[in-house]
Amino acid sequence: MKKRSLMWLLAAVASLAIIAGIALAQSNYTIITVVKITGINWFNRMEQGVTEYAEATGNNATQTGPAEADPAQQLSIIRDLVARKPDAIAVVPMDPATLEPILAEAMDRGIVVVTHEATNQVNTMYDIEAFDNTAFGAGINEVIANCMGGEGKWTVFVGSLGSKTHNQWADGGIANAADNYPNMELVDAKQETFDDADQAYEKAKEILRKYPDIKGFQGSASTDVVGIGRAIDEAGLSDTVCLAGAGLPSSNVEMIESGTIDGVGYWDPADAGKAMNVVAAMVLDGVEIVDGMDLGIPGYESITLVDGAGEGKIIFGTAMKFANKDNLADHLF
Amino acid sequence: MTALFKDNHIRFLIVANVAIIIIAALASQGLFLDSYNIKSMAKQLPELGLLAMGIMLAMISGEGGIDLSVIGIANLAAIIAGLTAKTYFAGKEQGLSFMLVFILVALAVGIIAGLINGLLISRVGFTAILATLGTSLIYTGLAVALSGGPAVSLGYRKPFVNIGNGSFFNIPYSFIIFAFAAIAISYLLNRTAFGLRLYLMGSNAKAAHYTGINNKNILLITYTLSGVLASMAGIIIASSASSAKWDYGSSYLLVAILIAVMGGINPDGGHGRMVGLVLAGIAMQMMSSSLNLLGASVFLKNLMWGLLLLLSIVFTSSNLWQGFDILSRRSKSGGSSG
Repeated sequence: MKKRSLMWLLAAVASLAIIAGIALAQSNYTIITVVKITGINWFNRMEQGVTEYAEATGNNATQTGPAEADPAQQLSIIRDLVARKPDAIAVVPMDPATLEPILAEAMDRGIVVVTHEATNQVNTMYDIEAFDNTAFGAGINEVIANCMGGEGKWTVFVGSLGSKTHNQWADGGIANAADNYPNMELVDAKQETFDDADQAYEKAKEILRKYPDIKGFQGSASTDVVGIGRAIDEAGLSDTVCLAGAGLPSSNVEMIESGTIDGVGYWDPADAGKAMNVVAAMVLDGVEIVDGMDLGIPGYESITLVDGAGEGKIIFGTAMKFANKDNLADHLF
Repeated sequence: MTALFKDNHIRFLIVANVAIIIIAALASQGLFLDSYNIKSMAKQLPELGLLAMGIMLAMISGEGGIDLSVIGIANLAAIIAGLTAKTYFAGKEQGLSFMLVFILVALAVGIIAGLINGLLISRVGFTAILATLGTSLIYTGLAVALSGGPAVSLGYRKPFVNIGNGSFFNIPYSFIIFAFAAIAISYLLNRTAFGLRLYLMGSNAKAAHYTGINNKNILLITYTLSGVLASMAGIIIASSASSAKWDYGSSYLLVAILIAVMGGINPDGGHGRMVGLVLAGIAMQMMSSSLNLLGASVFLKNLMWGLLLLLSIVFTSSNLWQGFDILSRRSKSGGSSG
């Protein structure tokens, strides 16, 4: 009798342990996404993605970030979070250099660290990029080339020559035209617009005066299409001059509908937010992330994995999106 | 000591601090009192605290004294020091010289920038708000020009990074620097002729002048000290971020002024204690960290800070406490006669 009750007891304990084990294995992760600034369109959209992720997985995924654009504030928010010790933090650094010491400390404390838009971040496990910048630049150029019929003078603007991303976009566009469209003639490449729509407007007016037969403009800063568009519009050349660049569809509705802007390229911050959370959870689950893997998010179905600036890796998606007059409604958020 | 507790601001701040600790500890189920969190808060306080100290000195000097250029000085000092130290002591074995040169150059920039503010205000006769608004733009502009815009990366160089990230027997180095500065400035204000003259000038510049105090020199010293304190904040910020940039802490100016005012520093001059400033700084830091710990919205933090300031004004207005004192005296005398 005694033996039997002991057996029962053991069985009960074992089953409890198994149930507890399952419960533990399924226990929800706390993943906090820290963005550059709270309350602007771009990051509100990212928060939608994070919220959708939380609803879909049951993980406790939330988003925070400074109320003002100040790298020091982002640092101090992360410092508080490291004290709170969530399972993972997903950061969109305002300035990657500022966060190196605190992210190193976070990883020392056993927190999983994932970043976005920070290919030069040393202290991260995975940095997620929506796409390869050269391919994105080529994609924008393709829009212009199609619009121009593959021939004529064209130029490309950059926000600043110091911006690595803008240069990669511009170079990707230049390479695409040179390789595939021998009749496209590049003039006055890489004019700097200092991320200012007015500067882009002035530069575009100069170019239109200097080359009356110009047929294409490629923009890099999100302000470029706005300024160039205004110049083209004022010159009454909306139908003959082609314009495409990086920008948010919702910020350029009027000029896209009027046909002044023939296409804007962008990536969806909601998907990027989801991708960061998915990768963080994979690291927590001990799933190995490999080249060509499908993260289950549009644009991240077949990722490319390369070595990062530190011990971490960079994940490239193919999440570039292009909006034009015909499909604008699908791209508004 | 008893004089301290009669100060309405100090009374309010002690009550506020205790209330924040209790509420935060309960709401976070004890996580708030975790030693790591306390250490993390102690690492964050010095940056704002040192900036507020400089503003406090300027405010005490009276005649609308304020120093709006503290952030500009902090970043300019860090950028010049960073560029210098990187140029001459970049070697792997030169970590110690890197740190010493960084500190010395940063402090020198702080002194010079503070002196310029002081000269403009005391000798040229600019009002403090205009002079320091102007120089703040100049210092920030210089910082952008020298660094070219992007952050000046300092690398993960020990022992320099320890200033903002490391600890000595569990007390963060940055907090030790802050405490040392607070004690030194407090001594200067309360125990030296300079302090006495500064308070006198702040309450009544004309009277101070007729008692033979050289107001111009006092002003010059005050703004130079403010510059030095700002450059110390710059050193700590640069170390904790292992980089220097022109826009670090660009949102800190109003918060630093808020801390000074909440600490009982009279913006009209002549009045204010270091204890009040330190207690106000601690209250703000605990409030902001506990809200982050609880995962509250960042906008709630600004709202709570504003609320705390309003509460401090309500509870420290002398009328309210006078009423309280009269009431308690009455009830006491009533008790004895009955």
